[in-house]
Amino acid sequence: MAVGRRDSESGPDVLRRAGEASVLVLISLADGPKHGYALIQDIRELAGVELGPGTLYGALDRLERLGLIESLPADDRRHPYRITAPGAAALRVHLDGLERVSAAGRLRLQLGGI
Amino acid sequence: MDGPPAPRLVGTALRCYPARWRRRHGDEAAELAALLIRDGAPAGSIAWSYLAGAAREWLTPRPGRPLTALACALLAAACLVGVSTGLLASAGPARAASTARAASSARAASTARVASSARAASSAQVAGTSPARGRPYCRPGSAPPFSSVLPAVGHPQLILPAADHARPC
Repeated sequence: MAVGRRDSESGPDVLRRAGEASVLVLISLADGPKHGYALIQDIRELAGVELGPGTLYGALDRLERLGLIESLPADDRRHPYRITAPGAAALRVHLDGLERVSAAGRLRLQLGGI
Repeated sequence: MDGPPAPRLVGTALRCYPARWRRRHGDEAAELAALLIRDGAPAGSIAWSYLAGAAREWLTPRPGRPLTALACALLAAACLVGVSTGLLASAGPARAASTARAASSARAASTARVASSARAASSAQVAGTSPARGRPYCRPGSAPPFSSVLPAVGHPQLILPAADHARPC
């Protein structure tokens, strides 16, 4: 379902259309730089989502193009990635929006007595 | 590329990516696939994931790939033209049929109304009442009744519509 969402007071939600994989990658990078394999393992533990490697690289490229993450110098053949300041801000805005929707959903469930 | 089939499969999928992507991520992606296979992930699903990623990579318009963007635009335009033509082709006969159906059903309904009014008028005459008084047509959604019909066999029928709009329902 495509629903228009209001941007929050802290700025536009640039992750609104980035996809679930991109959001999960940003959340995983929020506590420090990681390379591809560590990202897949962390996202599996964090969210129970089995991210395919093709999906992962697509999300990494998209986030890097948006300036939300950056690639660090290669360690052996692995490129670690790090969340940037705009990336952290965008993640905060997106999570705030999710929190508002989640709170509204819980309230409606209570009001509906379900 | 010789070796076990799993890495060969993944290698084939990785070769589907654009050269620019392979230069940047190729070695790392192959190593990541090897690690995932070692952990027990099926090689087929990894190869499929890379294939889907390669398709997305080719279809994503980039500033450095004007030809790809042009090809995507042409493909989208061709799809739009095809869909529009298909819609037009399918809508034409359907519209004609629906118009013909509507016209014929309107004619049938009008004939039925005339016949039913005629029957009501004649039975009212027999009973000594008027159909307008007995509210025979006062149902929501029913077609507005013809107020009087003078059935005369062998003569053109005279229909005087809507003389009783003020009749309370």
